[in-house]
Amino acid sequence: MAVLTVEGLKVRYSAKGPEILKGIDFEVQDDDFLAIIGPSGAGKSTLIRCVNRLVEPSDGKIVLLGEDVCALRPRALRNLRRNVGMIFQEFNLINRMSVMDNVLSGRLGYTGNMRSLFRAFPQDDIQLALYYLDRVGLSDHIDKRADELSGGQRQRVGIARALMQRPKLLLLDEPTSALDPKISREVMALIRDIALELKVPALCNIHDVQLAKEFCNRIIGLQDGYKKFDGATEQLRDADLDDIYAMEVL
Amino acid sequence: MAVIDANPAALDQQYELRRRRYVKMGLIWLAVIAFVAWCVNGTIIEDTDWSRIGGRSGVLSSIGRYLSLDLGLLPELLIPTLETFMMASVGTVLGCFLSLPVAWLGAANVTPSKTILYPLGRFLMVLSRSVHEIVWALLFVSAVGLGALPGILAIAMRSVGFISKISAEAIENIDTKPVEAIRAVGGSQFQVMYYGILPQIYPVVLATVIFEWDINIRRSAVMGLVGAGGLGLLFFRQMNSFNYGGVTMVILAILFLIIIGEIISHYLRKAVI
Repeated sequence: MAVLTVEGLKVRYSAKGPEILKGIDFEVQDDDFLAIIGPSGAGKSTLIRCVNRLVEPSDGKIVLLGEDVCALRPRALRNLRRNVGMIFQEFNLINRMSVMDNVLSGRLGYTGNMRSLFRAFPQDDIQLALYYLDRVGLSDHIDKRADELSGGQRQRVGIARALMQRPKLLLLDEPTSALDPKISREVMALIRDIALELKVPALCNIHDVQLAKEFCNRIIGLQDGYKKFDGATEQLRDADLDDIYAMEVL
Repeated sequence: MAVIDANPAALDQQYELRRRRYVKMGLIWLAVIAFVAWCVNGTIIEDTDWSRIGGRSGVLSSIGRYLSLDLGLLPELLIPTLETFMMASVGTVLGCFLSLPVAWLGAANVTPSKTILYPLGRFLMVLSRSVHEIVWALLFVSAVGLGALPGILAIAMRSVGFISKISAEAIENIDTKPVEAIRAVGGSQFQVMYYGILPQIYPVVLATVIFEWDINIRRSAVMGLVGAGGLGLLFFRQMNSFNYGGVTMVILAILFLIIIGEIISHYLRKAVI
């Protein structure tokens, strides 16, 4: 069953600016761990941000969990975003807050303004946070400030924060490109294992083709705003890669 | 005795260049001296009541009158000193709260309306700072009467400009990545500000508020000159009754208070940063 359906998606950031995405169609099934590969500037980040409307699409249709994303009013959009966990390239943590508070901030969509003013998260949330912090291997760092951690540890905080949402879809925006190769592999394995365990589909921007082949069941190749490839990982040939990355030589 | 043979053309060029520079510098100095002379003539020479000064000894003995202490004033100093301190503190806190909405309006990246509210925010910042605290105090004395309240209001109004300007600049310089993260989890506008923006700006804002409090102690010491309570009022009364020893006592009290404020703010700032 398709969790996410994208049809004819186009994006330009300003009326006269260049078109970043030029009509993209694809689907994410409920058991997919789908990679989006492509050279820098292909539109990978823009594409993934359209799914939860951090970027406003200029044309096309996005159906996520049965809802037409582009038609949602602000309140309904916030409610939909609660179901979508996002993990970022540069972790996007709140540096001056503790690891625990960062993880708890994943629950903000479910927390009233009054409670969030005092960071008074319910007991259940705190228990869940402790569970996920243990799951990502950060039990010894709970009360440290987020900026005291190493890159790999910071991304683990980001993962725990996304999981706190009890997401129905994970959006991963280059989750490993700020990390060294060994840590990258560990982090990808962790995300994949958790996704399998929780049966959450994932949509993952990644420029490292090797990692994409290793961890993802399907691959979409993007080049300069067009979709160049869409198929199972086994179907990806070197010729396809040459095609996707052809522009990068220029 | 030329040790090195220079290229004559280059030499001439250097001489010419330097000659022009001497002329230019001479003209600039002349202009500066003429300007200062003009100002001195206007303000000091023409504007001073030379006959009232009456010689060197007159000036010295006038100043000398202040070199006595009226220790009898000591018990009367306590309450106004405390009042000055309280005025500064309450005024700073009030100014802080007033600064919040102004900073929000006047920060280009979070303002609710770029065309109307942003310029309004910026205007309020300028207004607050361009009106002197004594003028603010005069306005509030005529509005709410004598006492500490107009002083507090004046200090609050005067504080808004600086605190909100620095805060707005801090907001404009934030890292937008945490903001994106809070939006992505479905956070409300308030949560985005409280979790995404505030943690990034609060060290700067707090340091600014402490600095402003320090300045406000000085400001509140003169509020009484226009009837807005504190040490200034006592100063004014001593001056009017020609009790020069009392004037010196009040000045010493102000000095004492400022030193105390300086010490406290030094340690507060250390604790924050």
